[in-house]
Amino acid sequence: MLEIIFLVPFLSGLAVFFLPKTAGRVWMVLTGIIHLLLTARLWINPQAAMFGDYFRVCPEGLLSLSVISLLFLLISIYTTEYLNHSHIRHENIFTGSLLLFLSTMTLVTLSDHIMVMWIAIEATTLTSAPLIFIHGTPRALEATWKYLLICSVGIAMALLGSVLMTLAMDVGHVDIPVSFSALTGVAAQLDPVWLKAAFVFIFVGYGTKMGLAPMHTWLPDAHSEAPSPASAMLSGVLLNCAYLGIFKTNKIMVAAGLGSFSGMILMGFGLMSMLAAATFIIRQTEYKRMLAYSSIENMGIIAFGTGVGGIGAYGAILCLIHHSLIKSSLFLTSGNINAGYNTWLIDRVGNLAGRMPKTCTAFFSGFAALAGFPPFGMFIGELLIIVGVFRAGHYPMAAVFILSLCIIFAGFSNQIIKMSFGDAPENLPNEISEKAITVCPQYALLLTSLVLCVWMPDIFYQTIMDAAKAMGGGF
Amino acid sequence: MDMIYSMDILLSFVLLSVLFSFSTSRLVVMIRIVVLQGVVVSVAPFFLEDSMTAGTLVFTLSILTIRGIVIPWSIYAVVQKMGIKRALEINVGYHASLFFCLLLIVGAQMLSLKFNMMDFRGSTLMVSTAITLIMGGLFLLMARRNAIVMVLAYMMMENGISLLGAPLSAGAHTIVEFGILLDVLAGVMIMGIMLQSIQQKYVNLDTAQLRKLKE
Repeated sequence: MLEIIFLVPFLSGLAVFFLPKTAGRVWMVLTGIIHLLLTARLWINPQAAMFGDYFRVCPEGLLSLSVISLLFLLISIYTTEYLNHSHIRHENIFTGSLLLFLSTMTLVTLSDHIMVMWIAIEATTLTSAPLIFIHGTPRALEATWKYLLICSVGIAMALLGSVLMTLAMDVGHVDIPVSFSALTGVAAQLDPVWLKAAFVFIFVGYGTKMGLAPMHTWLPDAHSEAPSPASAMLSGVLLNCAYLGIFKTNKIMVAAGLGSFSGMILMGFGLMSMLAAATFIIRQTEYKRMLAYSSIENMGIIAFGTGVGGIGAYGAILCLIHHSLIKSSLFLTSGNINAGYNTWLIDRVGNLAGRMPKTCTAFFSGFAALAGFPPFGMFIGELLIIVGVFRAGHYPMAAVFILSLCIIFAGFSNQIIKMSFGDAPENLPNEISEKAITVCPQYALLLTSLVLCVWMPDIFYQTIMDAAKAMGGGF
Repeated sequence: MDMIYSMDILLSFVLLSVLFSFSTSRLVVMIRIVVLQGVVVSVAPFFLEDSMTAGTLVFTLSILTIRGIVIPWSIYAVVQKMGIKRALEINVGYHASLFFCLLLIVGAQMLSLKFNMMDFRGSTLMVSTAITLIMGGLFLLMARRNAIVMVLAYMMMENGISLLGAPLSAGAHTIVEFGILLDVLAGVMIMGIMLQSIQQKYVNLDTAQLRKLKE
């Protein structure tokens, strides 16, 4: 039964609300292990869903689910130590919400029905809102309010898009279940005008949740105000879930022969996001907000690659996987830096290499991986997108893409080098010991990213190819 | 035919209510307007050509209870608890809002005419009313700064989507309605908690105070 994968964290999440704190932490890690085992079982022995009209394993869903599962386990291990010094008063609400969040994101990856997907994405907003608000400060309140309001309006637009999809079926006299797989099969029969309208609304809706500019305004606030483990989840996997909604709708568009229409929209918004991120990264004063803007940039890269299609689509999926692994490691590391320096300001952090060498190793390697240094996956992904866009003949767009990457690289590296090797400011708090548990999860994430670049199992490679092929992608 | 005619009369009241909501600052009036819209949207399937089964009847009645009683009552309770009568925090003035609303209603009619939607499931006003509710809700979200009015504006937008969605997805009716319900119920509930927190941290519900995180 496929549904068990999201039922386990759901029931666990509910149970944690009533457990003592320490038991709750252990329970969370245990659930992470069970979830990872259940996900691994899907690779070896694909399961059928009890409600086949609503749930199904698709290549892109399986990839996202695997990333979510691995990330959650590592983040939950980190969280057990993080909670010792984080001053979170309602710990059970935090751990319980993390598990419910895992459950809803799992639901997104397994949904095949267009409305179930929408409900699942909406549910991710509701389960993650307490994670952002957990400190209860005025800044957290503002971030949560913005997050709820902007994402709810965005998701309402996606609902309108889903409704218009049924109108496209109605006008085209198509009578099938409203599932992505069924709709992709009969895409050519759908009414093209209403299908385009549906795509635009779904794109704007899920694009808001994905953090694409100009609908991104909630993202830097929410990602910077949430506790670091929650930020890692939000940035590492929630954005991927929203992307899945767009990816699957784009598959229908490509199957209906409207790929160029959706591709141009994806490329346009992708570039806009990269430019917006470049503008804000350069003059950023807080390192966690800088990471949040970097997420907007990376979502822009992924949307752009998806729009390019062909080899670019393959590159986009590579970027999606590696971004999750690397960015979540960076957010976790930012939690360590805050613990050591008691500030989020870049100017108040210096000589990280001397004061916190293990943290600095994770931070700097994460930066190198994210900035697109070889041999990390982001380098390969971005290179494939650039090759793809040149092959497609969109030269001006290729120029803007490369320019944005350069600006962001310059801004990002300037700040990171200042933090890692610059002079330490005066009156710093006492040095704290770097426990293995607070750096090993980040090392594991970066190592996974590195290993996937030099050795990718055949089945994994094939699954990425299957996902990309649906959009005319691949080599 | 008579039933459909009655539906159009009800929808014209909804259009008038949108006009009214753009020009009032009284919170209780706003809540009543959203109740009226919610009730009309919930009973819309009764008036359409689709045949009603016992299941959909029960479902419609439960939606009616939630939209017409549960949610408005909980927002009303928040308003009473906070002792606020008027929401005076605005970005766009009432006269300008009213003028925009008139343009919106005319524009929505023209749009539904352009897309041949003047006879949607037998109703003339359904699509244009839905567009007016969606766009009107979006406008109020931008034009008002009071957190309660923003939540009500969000509900108005949801009502519009629901009005368009319910008859369209006859086959997947339950799941669409379930989705919208979940959205409204849980979303508004969490927003309600946020409202109380804003009230506790600041003196009133003016969202302009939430400006710490600006770049």
